[in-house]
Amino acid sequence: MAQDWKSFEPLLIPDIPNLQKIDVYEENGGYDALKKIFNDQNTWSRKSVVEEVKQANIRGRGGAGFNAGLKWSFMPDPDGGPRYLACNGDESEPGTFKDRKIFEYNPHLFIEGALIAAYAMTIDTIYVYIRGEYISWVEMFQEAVNDAYEKGYLGENILGTDISIDLEVTYGAGAYICGEETAMLESLEGKRGYPRTKPPFPAQNGLWGRPTTINNIETLANVPLVINNGADWYGDIGAEEHPGPVLYGISGHVNRPGVYEYPTGVSVMDLINDVAGGIRGGKDLKALIPGGSSTPVLRADQLEGVTMNSDSLKDAGSMMGTAGMVVMDEDTDMVDVLWRIAHFYHHESCGQCTPCREGTGWLEKVLKKIKDGEGEMKDLDLLLDVGNQMEGRTICALADAAVWPVRHTINRFRDEFEARCKKSVHAVA
Amino acid sequence: MPEVFIDGKRYEYEGQPMLLQFILDQGLEVPFFCYHPSMSIPANCRQCMVKVGTPVKDRETGEFELDENGDRKIRWFPKPQTSCSTPLQDGMVVHTQETSEEIARAQKDNLEFILINHPLDCPICDQAGECPLQIQTYKYGPEGSRFEVKKVHKPKHVDLGPRVTLDAERCINCTRCVRFTEEISETNQLTIVDRGDSNYPTTAPGETFDDPYSMNTVDICPVGALTSTDFRFKARVWEMNQTPSIDITNGKGCNIDLWTRDNEVLRITPRQNEDVNDYWMPDAGRDAYKLFNENRVDRPSITLDENNQSNTSWNNAIETFAEVIEANDPSDITIVGSPHASVEENYVFNKFFNLLGVSNAKFTPHVIPGSGDGFLITDDQAPNTNGCRVINLDETDDGAIQSVVSDAKVVIILSDDLIGRDVLTSSDLESPYTISLATNISDTTKASDLVIPITCVAEHAASYVNVDGRIQRSYPAKETKYTNRRLNLEMSEGRLDRFGTNFDNWVSEENKVDCLPLWEFLNKLADRLGLEFEYNHSREIFTELSNSLDVLSNVSYDRMDEEKGVQLPIKQKEVKA
Repeated sequence: MAQDWKSFEPLLIPDIPNLQKIDVYEENGGYDALKKIFNDQNTWSRKSVVEEVKQANIRGRGGAGFNAGLKWSFMPDPDGGPRYLACNGDESEPGTFKDRKIFEYNPHLFIEGALIAAYAMTIDTIYVYIRGEYISWVEMFQEAVNDAYEKGYLGENILGTDISIDLEVTYGAGAYICGEETAMLESLEGKRGYPRTKPPFPAQNGLWGRPTTINNIETLANVPLVINNGADWYGDIGAEEHPGPVLYGISGHVNRPGVYEYPTGVSVMDLINDVAGGIRGGKDLKALIPGGSSTPVLRADQLEGVTMNSDSLKDAGSMMGTAGMVVMDEDTDMVDVLWRIAHFYHHESCGQCTPCREGTGWLEKVLKKIKDGEGEMKDLDLLLDVGNQMEGRTICALADAAVWPVRHTINRFRDEFEARCKKSVHAVA
Repeated sequence: MPEVFIDGKRYEYEGQPMLLQFILDQGLEVPFFCYHPSMSIPANCRQCMVKVGTPVKDRETGEFELDENGDRKIRWFPKPQTSCSTPLQDGMVVHTQETSEEIARAQKDNLEFILINHPLDCPICDQAGECPLQIQTYKYGPEGSRFEVKKVHKPKHVDLGPRVTLDAERCINCTRCVRFTEEISETNQLTIVDRGDSNYPTTAPGETFDDPYSMNTVDICPVGALTSTDFRFKARVWEMNQTPSIDITNGKGCNIDLWTRDNEVLRITPRQNEDVNDYWMPDAGRDAYKLFNENRVDRPSITLDENNQSNTSWNNAIETFAEVIEANDPSDITIVGSPHASVEENYVFNKFFNLLGVSNAKFTPHVIPGSGDGFLITDDQAPNTNGCRVINLDETDDGAIQSVVSDAKVVIILSDDLIGRDVLTSSDLESPYTISLATNISDTTKASDLVIPITCVAEHAASYVNVDGRIQRSYPAKETKYTNRRLNLEMSEGRLDRFGTNFDNWVSEENKVDCLPLWEFLNKLADRLGLEFEYNHSREIFTELSNSLDVLSNVSYDRMDEEKGVQLPIKQKEVKA
């Protein structure tokens, strides 16, 4: 890390009162990046914006961690027809609650980033899809959008240029699957949230069959930072291969749960102990889910030296995900935890394809049996086998997300599961 | 030509086929549930998984890279692929369950999933015997189940609409039914509700599934979730005979199968013909089975006094018919052919009375403007309007028929309920002596002085020309009192034909109608009248027709069999749908 994380000043959610108001945002340099580009399109051609973002290596904050600029470059050349940017604010995974901070505290940063993305990809319509349960954030964000329209940042001839971009706020009905990018497209089209088979990919065949790019809210909020300060500056923040500020959503058995902004690459233990105030009641750490409930759980003894960036977490046997860290203390019952996670995925499986529709329920029911003390040893192997039958055989990754917690929690805390299972009785002649 | 290697065998292909359809077209098998060749590909059942690899090409030269043995290097997809949604690529290598243990296991795993919440009630499920899930499970499924927790229970016996009943527990969420209403019938009446293993297809609240094509969803449901309310629990597929035929309820002539047991038609299902009806048919056509079983004219009947129709013997009927003809001048006799009768029937009807000096037969089309839907339901309510035109029957409008009838002393009507469809009134038939040659009791037969029962489409071989000018034929599916399926080589052979005994229901005499094919009755009448007129089979009639009419030259029963009907050189503008 190029700088000490403790002295890091938040960039995505800086501590500026009323930053959600457009005047305050402007007073603090808001929309400067947009003006920089729109007022000097010769320097900032659409292609050069894509290149700058690609160079900055903003890794998608929705969980997959793909280079955002590279994703933008997949859009085909304009053919005169409509093209869309679909912004994914449907965070619904247990442990993940960071986009709402942007909607609440710094919505214009995201709007500015979305506008730059739309310009870069020659897009004239932006859809922002917000989790249905976030109704108060939807209302707050809509106010920000209205202000941006009023000030001429959205709508016809933005900043007096010939560029016109519209932004529409829409919200889901509370289905986890609608956060999956192609299911979100279906939902935006007014249909049931079923993931689409790929290929074709959204860049070729997205909303209403037209080229569409899907980005996470936090990802787009990073874009003005890159334009204002340059890709090199951005690359110096945090881990080399996974740079930039990250909103860490820390929940669980810590003294100060919340959303905190720090660069990537901060030590996991620093985040738990220093940022979140340590384990509640002075207890010991037992386990950590690093990036939302689908990312594999790590035992406390696996966390030494691990930092919050993709490579380090991969080496440790997990993933960065959305940086939604769920901290569990020594008293945590891992059987209960896993059953609760399995319950969530069973409840949220859209039911479109067989292995997920049937497998998630099977996993949950067997785990419930174990949780209730009715399980048998063979059930543990059954769970792992059912997981193998699901993984990689479905249209989207929900089945994988349901399987990883089961596989890794059982493998990493097997003794707890075995202790909960009934001892097999063998007849002795 | 691009090539593909499936289970080690090389195939060439053209165009951009999808892998599953290509495999099926080669006569090979990969199990599947959700795929249907006429609808979009959701790839949601995940049963048609195969192992797929593509050859590695040198980016600069475009040549295939070779391994140390000189074989093409293959880059295998990391996961099994659903073959339904995989387009073929030149050089693609595919392993199905036949050659890949991994794929065989993946398919078995998938079937284990499908079966965990599917009730294993095959002995009572109406789909047993024609259930793809049952068949695939026997061929590719697990030997048992490791699922020892509680199954999901979804709604049962739900009347989705007037004709379709849902047993949601059996649904495997293939979405074929939903896609049918979205893509084929375009009513969008079905959708999937709820999530995960609780989901099932249904209508919007307060809506009813009354799509005029609703029963096609029963045909394409790969399990027993959607069943025909009318047919449920009436018969098992293995008890029935399946006979190809033509829908006679409108002018499209959908290709159908008649399913018979104990000499009753129990259900009608569509027969695939991409030139006519693809895989589909309207619900109304399925109801026609009742016409073949119920309300039949059974034995000749005669009106002795004003309102009293009584059955009579065939001898008396023939004698009465002959006496009426002999007692009247041919110019006082009017004959009315029918778009509801076959080409052969109209032809022999016309020919017979021509021999007696009666002028050309007339017919009036049965068209209700605006009743068609541009798909499989036509304005034309009759199956053979163009057939009447092909043999040059005199086409007249309803008013002209009425006037001709009122001038006649004898009216002979072939298979057309002219009163029921408001062409004539009962009083029009009061003064002339009226003879009906009919299959079913109708207002017209009730107003007739003599009624001769003739065979219906389910009882004879005959041809019909549809609104698009395509001639197609039917086969006998039901015995009459004078026929025997074991002697009639055109009748389909079912399990009970092969294995039934005289004590089985199959040979019951009760359901046999006392009627004759029209040509056979006319043979007898000709014999009585001393006319030279004799046919031994409708095939002879058709051969005579094809030898005499240019439009039917080169058309034969054999050709209709081979090509599922023959398109006649009729100009479309001549077709009045």
